[in-house]
Amino acid sequence: MQIRPILATLKHHKAGTLLIALQIALTLAIVCNALFIIHQRLAHLSQPTGLDESHLLVIQNQWANKPTKGDISSLLADDLATLRKVPGVANAYATDGYPLSSGGITYGIGHSPDKLNFVSNTAIYFADENALPTLGLKLVAGRNFRSDEIGEIGGRDKIAPQVLIITSELARRLFPGESAVGKMAYVSDKPSIIIGVVERMQTPYVDSAMAQWSDCSTLMPFHQLVTPTNYVVRAQPGQLDDVAKRVRAALYAANRLRVISPEDGVKTFAQVRAQAYKSDRGMAILMASISVILLAITAAGIVGLTSFWVGQRRKQIGVRRALGATRHDILSYFLTENLLIGVGGVLLGGVLALGLNLWLMKQFEMARLAPGYVLAGVVTLLLLGQCAVLAPALRASNVPPVEATRSV
Amino acid sequence: MLKMTHLSKVYRTEVVETYALRDFNIDVKEGEFVAVTGPSGSGKTTFLTIAGLLETFTGGEYHLDGMEVSQLNDNARSKIRNEKIGFIFQAFNLIPDLNVFDNVEVPLRYRGMKTPERKERIMNALERVGLASRAKHYPAELSGGQQQRVAIARALAGSPRLLLADEPTGNLDTQMARGVLELLEEIHREGATIVMVTHDPELAARAQRNVHIIDGQVVDLAEDPRFHTAYTAAAGQVRG
Ligand SMILES: Nc1ncnc2c1ncn2[C@@H]1O[C@H](COP(=O)(O)OP(=O)(O)OP(=O)(O)O)[C@@H](O)[C@H]1O
Ligand SMILES: [Mg+2]
Repeated sequence: MQIRPILATLKHHKAGTLLIALQIALTLAIVCNALFIIHQRLAHLSQPTGLDESHLLVIQNQWANKPTKGDISSLLADDLATLRKVPGVANAYATDGYPLSSGGITYGIGHSPDKLNFVSNTAIYFADENALPTLGLKLVAGRNFRSDEIGEIGGRDKIAPQVLIITSELARRLFPGESAVGKMAYVSDKPSIIIGVVERMQTPYVDSAMAQWSDCSTLMPFHQLVTPTNYVVRAQPGQLDDVAKRVRAALYAANRLRVISPEDGVKTFAQVRAQAYKSDRGMAILMASISVILLAITAAGIVGLTSFWVGQRRKQIGVRRALGATRHDILSYFLTENLLIGVGGVLLGGVLALGLNLWLMKQFEMARLAPGYVLAGVVTLLLLGQCAVLAPALRASNVPPVEATRSV
Repeated sequence: MLKMTHLSKVYRTEVVETYALRDFNIDVKEGEFVAVTGPSGSGKTTFLTIAGLLETFTGGEYHLDGMEVSQLNDNARSKIRNEKIGFIFQAFNLIPDLNVFDNVEVPLRYRGMKTPERKERIMNALERVGLASRAKHYPAELSGGQQQRVAIARALAGSPRLLLADEPTGNLDTQMARGVLELLEEIHREGATIVMVTHDPELAARAQRNVHIIDGQVVDLAEDPRFHTAYTAAAGQVRG
């Protein structure tokens, strides 16, 4: 190949060469970090909740007139009965929160009443015997709650459940290598017995700071007598949209003294999910847009500079043709030249990418960039360069040899 | 070596057709040193570019080294230019970004020659033109005469059988021009066929044979009436 003379030529065109190499380097640094962030967000987004989401909808109900604890007890029972009678509804239960609801209670759970000595964080969900069938949670060991185990608590009451259902991830942390069913665990100063283990149930939080225990949830057998209350409703197959339209009217017909927000009082789980991951999705889209724009600018820069160089070198291209260069020789000259600049750019860019990642790790607790992303970025940019340079290089290869004899 | 019969070359633009060459006949034998003269715009450069396969022609026949060239494709033409023909241009046409060594190397690289052989040929060629010590210089650091000698070294390095020169001394002063001509004569003595376009009657006189082109045709100086008219007119001007 003609690498040495091409490098010699580039030495005489330092400004343009450096400009493009730097542009490639910066683009690589940003694009592979952006790709990494996108991929992480997408992985985050696709984390399963463990719920049978496609059949679920949630209702947030606010009571009017500040009812007492005792009032709410019967209001709740009436509402659940009303909901079960709505055509298309398979089941329903009342709870303080649900996966991706983004707010809720967090406890430490451990082997002793000592609060500072817990084994793991866990999200707390209040549930009754209908929670598992409604959510479609898969029981992998033990049993569901019985109706006689469900207690009632107010907003400020001390919580000391006798029985618990936990996720398999939490069970593994509490009792590694053993069955958790029948064992005792502490969420209060009194021990609770674990009666069941469900395969998976995500916490309400999508924040990456809580990602370490995103599958550590605990179901407690209580009806919480506060307002607002959430109802989770399971529709029969194919009935979700109809049920979503019917439930509000049914609840208002049974009791007018309530507020169910017309905007988001009734949400399908798909809407819950979209809302929970809105910022993740937004970030992914932003990163993707930035990447595309940067790549486009870099490609445009390469096209521009190469076109300029081809125009500037028409005469010497003609001379080369006159001296025996084939069209292909000229084409490969410009492709090679671009590749050399590109290689310089990606070498620098690789270092910059790792540097940027280190900075992001420090500032935003980002994970370490996997080398695969840098490699993917390198390949992308080199290919992009070759594609961008192709049109001007083809133009160069069409400069006729007679150009050598034309006076300037 | 180089034989054109009834050759024509038409340049077509939107408005006009220019016959740069018409019914053009020439036969240059192997080992000849031919000087081509003629007024400006008569078609000398056109003849040379067609002879050197830099351009195609419109009609007629051209045999180069016994081969009819009009059927050759672009790659074959490149290969012949590279291996059989050496070019020397009026404007030197060195590549400004490359040093003297790399300039001379250009045609050899396109021949796919191995590095040691390339190096040897380049240094030999530069020694021939007396510029071996300037191998690392850039064209801009050399005088016009030196640049033209580099161009000659570049043409020589590939040992071409045919050397085509378009006013190789046109941009040089008399002394440098003489040096370049001596170099060409030496190359000719070693067996190369040379066709040189020149305006300079003194240089033309030193060639073995002179070919005169007027209006895109080769004319016999002694017989052509147009030459007489031109000559008479010029003589009249001098007298007046
Ligand atoms: N690319 C072109 N397009 C149109 N006409 C052309 C082209 N090249 C040359 N010609 C015309 O062809 C004719 C011959 O031109 P050519 O360059 O061969 O003359 P020349 O004898 O080399 O002249 P000079 O001594 O000035 O170099 C001229 O009339 C010129 O205008
Ligand atoms: Mg000319």
